[in-house]
Amino acid sequence: MRPHASRRTLLVAASIAAVAALTACGSGGSAAPTAAAAAPSTLTGTVHFWHFFADREAAVIQSAVDTFVAAHPGLKVEVTAGQDDQKMRQAISAGQPIDVGLSYSTDQVGTLCSSGDFIDLSDYIKRDGVDLTQIPETVLSYTAFDGVRCTMPALADVYGLYYNTDLLAAAGYTAPPKTLDELADMAVALTTYNGDGSIKTLGFMPLLGYYENAESHWGPAVDGAWLNKDGTSAIGASPGWKALLEWQKGLIDRLGGYAKLSEFQAALGQEFSAENDFQTGRVAMNVDGEYRTAFIADQAPDLHYGTAPFPAAKGYEKQYGAGYITGNIVGIGKGSTNPEAAWALIKYLTTDPAAQVALSNGLKNVPTVHSAITDPSLEVSDQFGTFLTIFENPASQTTPPARIGPEYQTIFGTHTQKWQAGEVSDLTAMLDQVDSEIDAATKLQAGS
Amino acid sequence: MRHRRNLLAVVAENATVITLAVCFIAPFVFIVLTSAMSAQQAGTSFSWPTEWHWENYRAVFDKLPMLKYFGNSFVYASLATLFMLVSSVPAAYALARIRFRGANVMFLGVIAMMLLPPQVTSVPLYVMWTHAGLTGSLWPLILPNLLGDAFSIFLLRQFFLTIPAEYTEAARLDGCGEVRTLWRVILPMAKPGVAATSIFLFFASWNDYYGPLLYTSENEGAWPVSYALAQFRGARSVDWNLTMAATVVAMVPVVLIFFLAQRTFVQGITLTGVKG
Amino acid sequence: MTVHRAPAGPARPTVRPSPATSVAGESRRPPSAMRRRRALVAFGLLGPSLLGMIVFFVYPLVMTVYYSFTTFDLSNSPRWNDFANWRFIVESDPLIGTATRNTLWFIVIMVPVRILGAMAVAWVLSRVKRGSGLLRTVYYLPALIPPVASTIAYVFLLNPQNGPLNVLLKRLGIHGPGWFTDPSWSRPSLTFLSLWVLGDVMIILLASLLDVPTEQYEAAQLDGANGWQRFWYVTLPHMTPILMFSLVTGVIGALKYFTEPAVASATAQGKSAVGAGTSTLLGWPDNSTLTYGQLLYAKAFGANLFGYGSALAVLLFIVTAALLVVVLRRFKAFTPEVAR
Repeated sequence: MRPHASRRTLLVAASIAAVAALTACGSGGSAAPTAAAAAPSTLTGTVHFWHFFADREAAVIQSAVDTFVAAHPGLKVEVTAGQDDQKMRQAISAGQPIDVGLSYSTDQVGTLCSSGDFIDLSDYIKRDGVDLTQIPETVLSYTAFDGVRCTMPALADVYGLYYNTDLLAAAGYTAPPKTLDELADMAVALTTYNGDGSIKTLGFMPLLGYYENAESHWGPAVDGAWLNKDGTSAIGASPGWKALLEWQKGLIDRLGGYAKLSEFQAALGQEFSAENDFQTGRVAMNVDGEYRTAFIADQAPDLHYGTAPFPAAKGYEKQYGAGYITGNIVGIGKGSTNPEAAWALIKYLTTDPAAQVALSNGLKNVPTVHSAITDPSLEVSDQFGTFLTIFENPASQTTPPARIGPEYQTIFGTHTQKWQAGEVSDLTAMLDQVDSEIDAATKLQAGS
Repeated sequence: MRHRRNLLAVVAENATVITLAVCFIAPFVFIVLTSAMSAQQAGTSFSWPTEWHWENYRAVFDKLPMLKYFGNSFVYASLATLFMLVSSVPAAYALARIRFRGANVMFLGVIAMMLLPPQVTSVPLYVMWTHAGLTGSLWPLILPNLLGDAFSIFLLRQFFLTIPAEYTEAARLDGCGEVRTLWRVILPMAKPGVAATSIFLFFASWNDYYGPLLYTSENEGAWPVSYALAQFRGARSVDWNLTMAATVVAMVPVVLIFFLAQRTFVQGITLTGVKG
Repeated sequence: MTVHRAPAGPARPTVRPSPATSVAGESRRPPSAMRRRRALVAFGLLGPSLLGMIVFFVYPLVMTVYYSFTTFDLSNSPRWNDFANWRFIVESDPLIGTATRNTLWFIVIMVPVRILGAMAVAWVLSRVKRGSGLLRTVYYLPALIPPVASTIAYVFLLNPQNGPLNVLLKRLGIHGPGWFTDPSWSRPSLTFLSLWVLGDVMIILLASLLDVPTEQYEAAQLDGANGWQRFWYVTLPHMTPILMFSLVTGVIGALKYFTEPAVASATAQGKSAVGAGTSTLLGWPDNSTLTYGQLLYAKAFGANLFGYGSALAVLLFIVTAALLVVVLRRFKAFTPEVAR
């Protein structure tokens, strides 16, 4: 008896048919939009604009958009706020009609450019004679990948050291640390303990993963390199990383060890809430981006603080003054139905000095065109000014765009977590392992 | 002597019961207490609220489109349930009451689908919904129910099997067709089972996190409450007091439904066959 | 566990068709025309579900296998990659070992602990004479609330420095651990959470427990069996099928375990994921809670390696299918019974 034979055949046949149908209509069919010969004189239609900002910051973006729309009657901009990179990337791949996408970091530039999710902007730039020399070299490097300029920089984030002047003064310090050794000494002096030995307040948190403590944000202190020209990992061969991690280990031990610090970390206040440890005085010195000045003005206006470049390591003193730069990037999605209007909006947001100044004044991010940085109407407090200087310092660094996105930083981070917990005995072997994992991930992404 | 030992045993038993009850209840108490604290107090060592801030609950609704989230959850859960009923009741009936070739294969398929981790098929299904242009909405989670939900089919079938065959046969002898037998004879008798299955699916959809994460994350307008709650603190950096208030708000509807439908629920579980 | 699919009760074979009925059925075999009609009706009723099975089960399975041999980023068509995904699984993936070990940990530790806990609570409940209805509700309630809510609540309760539990422990002179923030405690903390929400298992165990015929206890008592012996020789054999059922559904739940660890690591981290995306928050601390299902999600939907994610899915399917075979062979509730 073979009662099921016919049905089974039917099932198999049906599924094969379904597979065939789906494979045939595989993605990547429609052609990406291209630049017209000349910029249109009037803009019409709707632009779908996705960005990651929320709350107060979203309102700033909205006002910039409103100014743009006011200059272009007949044009509508629909804003979708609160997106993250993964969601935006997925939505673009899925073919949703996103005209302008703004991402918070440069991490996705490699994937966005190489996959074709963001279209090449070169033709638009050439046609409209956009002056790219207004933008620092580092920033240009993180907005293009493999010769494809698929994004423009819309404001930058610059990282430096925040310090609580009251707490420093109470401990007898009048200036921020300039070297990592000074930072360590001050961190120890500024740390106080509870009766049971646990940490009450901390001078400086040496654990990576705490707020903005990241390999990339510390890297400029030791001139740490990430990737070679061919896309392979440069971490193991870059001697600075080893020095940096050994310094970190030393400080962890001086402050009472990993367990104590991670317990302190567990009770942290949320990063972007009023309970942020630096804003409440739980931590005296902290690595953070220039945007923190706006949060402090908003949430802790009475805090006395200063800002400085992140200290340099021994042997890397001439690095002092440099810092980590990353930034918002903006591009045109491949599914755009209104690319000319999308480009006009991007050009406005990224190259118009007035727009850059307005955005910077609102968001407290660093403008990315020189003419905006020197614009007298840019509001620059002492604390914020530090970041403008770091931004234009030629030794400042970024994390290079890669085909694997931020994966290479994640891999490094996985290992440094083990390192700081004291689970690694051979640092050199660990860094070699980091290299081989990054290279394998790059190979997988390329499909070879 | 014997009497005293019994007394001791009773005391010990009661103590256990009460301790257990406290363990299960205490978290709720702490959550509610924290939800009424000032942000400052909620951020420090836990203690009794020094002042009551019930306005935190208003703040949650002011800060977030909670009503929208609830609306989305409700649409997701109720449409999923409704669609499931339309498709799965007939399927379960066919599997329970009609003898036909291929029934076994079909039933094994249902079991396999029911037990399969959703991650296994996530990629192709996501690609499929992408082609359909429905990512960014809850439809990829609702629509499949129109084509049967494996767990519900399985459960309903178990219910139908507990109804003595004589009823079906009598109806058939009276000349009822299968559809009428299902509608007039089986369904009225299986009401508790159908209700229980519906509640199970309703709750599963209401509580779902993985599905909305996959399909709605880029569109806040489509977020159901359980996904939105996860974004509340993890991604948005919100203080504990408001987080706890939002947590309470998210719990309330489920608890309410449970109390309203408790009898059906328990009856349903009992009827699934555990108690024979 | 991801989607709490309710206390799936029907573990024990319920009313089974006696052989007699079947034989009677055979002898009164309906004429073939009627049989054909009946089959037609059956397929009419089953049609949508059959289609659903093809579209949402068979087709995706086939495609998953196909994608697992390709490089696929959703933006560009899948491209055959000469087993690169499979080679990466075997040779290079630094996380697959961690994720598999974590998932195994949940299977080996969390699932049995949860069942034992549920058994204990059910046993206590079964002995309560007054107020058992109310107590059952109290013990069951946590299992009902959305897992996202219960997880967030637990991360708060177990907050190392300020959380109520550690504050309480401190008063007792005990220095509480880091719970969700300590890599060696994060999985036990999740287990602890799973005990709070054990109601779904507890309810079905309780039903089975109450179902043990009292005569059997009385007979055992007459034979001089003490409490423990009665439990061992009467209660346990009676409950074996339902316990096995709970074990298997628990293991399958652990294979797809996603929500609780995801929400716990995102919430406990206190670091904002603004702009970065969910998958960057998974696994924290130190990948100690990264489950296999999360790795799959992070690779496919976080890193856009849809081909690689599919390869991981194929492996997951193979494991599940093996389990499935065991299930189908051992459990009568899952075996097709003759329709009546």
